[in-house]
Amino acid sequence: MAIAKLKQDINSALNNDNLTGALGRFGEAYLPAREKAYEGKDFAAIREQIKEIKSYAADHMEELAEQFAKQAEKNGAKVFRAKTAAEAKEYIAKVVKEHNAKTVIKSKSMASEEIHLNDYLLKNTGVDEVAETDLGEWIIQLCGQRPSHMVMPAIHMTRDEVAEIFSKETNQNLDPDIAKLVKVARENLRQKFLRAGIGISGANIAVAETGTIVMCTNEGNGRLTTTVPPVHIILVGLEKLVPKFKDVGPILEALPRSATGQKITSYVTMISGPTPAIDLDGNIIEQKELHIVLMDNGRTAMRDDPMFKQALQCIRCASCLNVCPVFQKVGGHVYGHVYTGGIGTILTAFLNSFEKAGELQNLCLRCERCKTYCPGKIDLPALIAELRRRTVEKNGLPMGQKLILEKVLTNRKLFHSLLRTASVAQKPFVKGNVIRHLPLFFSGLTEGRSLPAIAAKPLRDKVGHYVPKSKPKAKVGYYAGCLGDFVYPEQGEAAYKVLGKMGMEIVFPLEQTCCGIPATQMGAPEVAVKLAKQNIEAFEKEGLDYIVSLCPTCVEVLKHHYVDYLKNDPAWKERAEKFAAKVVDFPTFVAKHGNNLKFKKLFTKATYHDSCHMKRTLNVWKEPRELLNKAGVKLVEMKGCDECCGFGGSYSIKMPEISKAILDKKLVNAEAAGADVLALDCPGCKMQIAGGLDAKGSKLPVKHTVELLAEALDD
Amino acid sequence: MSVVLTKNPMDALYNEFKEKAEAISAEVHRVADVKAARELVTKIIKELGTNKVVYAPSELTQSIDVQAIGKDAGVEMTSENLRQNAADAGLGISQLDYAIAEIGTLVGNATSIESRMVSILPPVHVALVRTANILPNLLETIALYNNKLGELPRYLTFVTGPSRTSDIERVLTIGVHGPGRLIIVFID
Ligand code: SF4
Repeated sequence: MAIAKLKQDINSALNNDNLTGALGRFGEAYLPAREKAYEGKDFAAIREQIKEIKSYAADHMEELAEQFAKQAEKNGAKVFRAKTAAEAKEYIAKVVKEHNAKTVIKSKSMASEEIHLNDYLLKNTGVDEVAETDLGEWIIQLCGQRPSHMVMPAIHMTRDEVAEIFSKETNQNLDPDIAKLVKVARENLRQKFLRAGIGISGANIAVAETGTIVMCTNEGNGRLTTTVPPVHIILVGLEKLVPKFKDVGPILEALPRSATGQKITSYVTMISGPTPAIDLDGNIIEQKELHIVLMDNGRTAMRDDPMFKQALQCIRCASCLNVCPVFQKVGGHVYGHVYTGGIGTILTAFLNSFEKAGELQNLCLRCERCKTYCPGKIDLPALIAELRRRTVEKNGLPMGQKLILEKVLTNRKLFHSLLRTASVAQKPFVKGNVIRHLPLFFSGLTEGRSLPAIAAKPLRDKVGHYVPKSKPKAKVGYYAGCLGDFVYPEQGEAAYKVLGKMGMEIVFPLEQTCCGIPATQMGAPEVAVKLAKQNIEAFEKEGLDYIVSLCPTCVEVLKHHYVDYLKNDPAWKERAEKFAAKVVDFPTFVAKHGNNLKFKKLFTKATYHDSCHMKRTLNVWKEPRELLNKAGVKLVEMKGCDECCGFGGSYSIKMPEISKAILDKKLVNAEAAGADVLALDCPGCKMQIAGGLDAKGSKLPVKHTVELLAEALDD
Repeated sequence: MSVVLTKNPMDALYNEFKEKAEAISAEVHRVADVKAARELVTKIIKELGTNKVVYAPSELTQSIDVQAIGKDAGVEMTSENLRQNAADAGLGISQLDYAIAEIGTLVGNATSIESRMVSILPPVHVALVRTANILPNLLETIALYNNKLGELPRYLTFVTGPSRTSDIERVLTIGVHGPGRLIIVFID
């Protein structure tokens, strides 16, 4: 039911040209701006500091909250600790009523969105208006929507829509001229500022040591909210606490740079106590009333969760949204809650509902892009996967999936014989080299993408134990992965050719099986653990120096996940570590040990697609380019070479509409490069991109780097 | 009107500040002394063609004698009743304590209600700063306040360029709720 609604939202977002246009433009402008803002800065060092500050703060949340409250009270503020959203709202309403305020102005505060404060005040106090004063927020408020982005709430709207909304509000006929529209907002809101009895704002940082609240804004509405009305209420979540005043430094260095590509926002305000104000009659008040509401509302529960505690390192810069290929296509509203994007999925789980979040995690592609940009150094994809696991744990898997995962995937012989049968059974469906139905996680309807056929003969039947004539340089175990074994055996054969020329002895352990990533993605980690043990056992017996694979995701799983799965299992921990130490991706291995390789010139122009897991998880992107160069290939880079192709394993099946929208962008860029061939280093990406090109009728061939290398070998 | 002085140890920092602040649409001037500052501010007021200027009393506004400037320029110059006066003045003048070269930012204690009202309500803000108070970067500025935490101002403000927004279609527009022009006058 809920999933159906989500799908509906996705489809309407994908068909909204305004939305995809605005988000696409922003997505393209964001990265260069961010890059420039960070010039001369050490992002790695800054994020490490932020991680330390914020994880310490999470560990000492209660202590810091007490210290903050004490200090802020000493400075003259009134501090209220709210456990729940309801408590926070009641307290704020009480203050509003005490002052008999008619107009309340607000400066952007996600926390107040989180608890739906505006509505509550309108219903439960005598106020006539609660006006959002951030331009984007005000637009959203006037048309009764929710913000779609934490930093740019109205990014999904066009100037025409804004002109229409403002025309209605001001009873004028306004042109869609942005400068003029901004002026209209200034004049309108100015009146509200001047008659407001109370200002409510959020906070970006709360310093325990000094009781200081730090706020960043660009428009100046934050300064007006904290200055003009004689009463100021600050609503701040416990996750904004940091211990020391000096901790403000690194956060302030990263927040604007990561959020909007600015070195700093126009205004940064640090409030450490009540200041003088002028009341509505023009009298000077020596000390205004300053209330600080420190709100929990799910944050300590998050802190108490060993995995999700990490999410408290978030500084709300929204860069995880800005770089997310899914967000760029569907915008924030499909997330259906206040916080959107990757971090939004996680926050929704704790601040709103776990159910909803369990559904939202389906939106994540696991391209890992957000993780490399997050200044809080949060492993967002891992947390989203954990949400998935918990949802499955609670609700169970659908019967079909459960059966496949538990009964088929863990039984290698059965699994492989099914694949073999499929290669025969598919015959009626194969048209040319293209098929519409594949078993298991490759199955399902696809739109705008042809699927490859299962090979007549898997790789395991074509290659075996290769021993070079001269003394072998090393003994290499070949890990094929499901796609490499049963769909693209030609890639494996090419790899054998290259490795053989390098003077390697090569072994294909027949007991090897699926790496387990589909099981993890579906939320069945116990199945993945079983597969890990099977694979480790299969390779252990052979006395290998290295284990090489053409699939970056398999390498990631074999090298990093297995150790993690088995770290608490004393009997297996060491075995997993030994195994992992030998695993290496193909380009790195050849770049390191293939100096003796001789190539003839290929005279081909190739463009290169960086696979998400190759580039970001394994940090390999120079190596394949160097190898292609050596093979005499001329590289012409395509636009957005490291942007996700939309595959994401089972994602392309689960969320075919989004997957296809992301793929389309890739295909356009790939074709625009004007190359003779598209090279890449991942069988999954090949399935996606080659399938997309095929369905489009494009003639651009897609090859794994290893195939080009094998072609260029000088024998 | 602004003079470029040579062989001053602050030259490098000033130049860096000017470059960074101008890149975000601030207007930056530097004058040798209070007399030159007085002339420059008078000229700015005359060019604006406003008839009301508000100011926040401070050491620098006193040394350049804003009241005399008001007379010279023929405008009402006041720091009274600012909820009203600042809202319809054409210009606000206040002093800021420091400038940060790396990011073109001004920093100061804005606890007094006057200093805040005059710097946010009028469409133009003239900020007076001592050239000797330019600091290299943000972290050193924070460290400076960190060294005297007991005296942390209740309202510490950082101002970088005029007010701005990109909320409609990501198109940058200068001047929203705060001033649309920020004119910075460094006094040696
Ligand atoms: S999770 Fe990281 S990238 Fe996303 S908003 Fe938080 S700090 Fe920024």
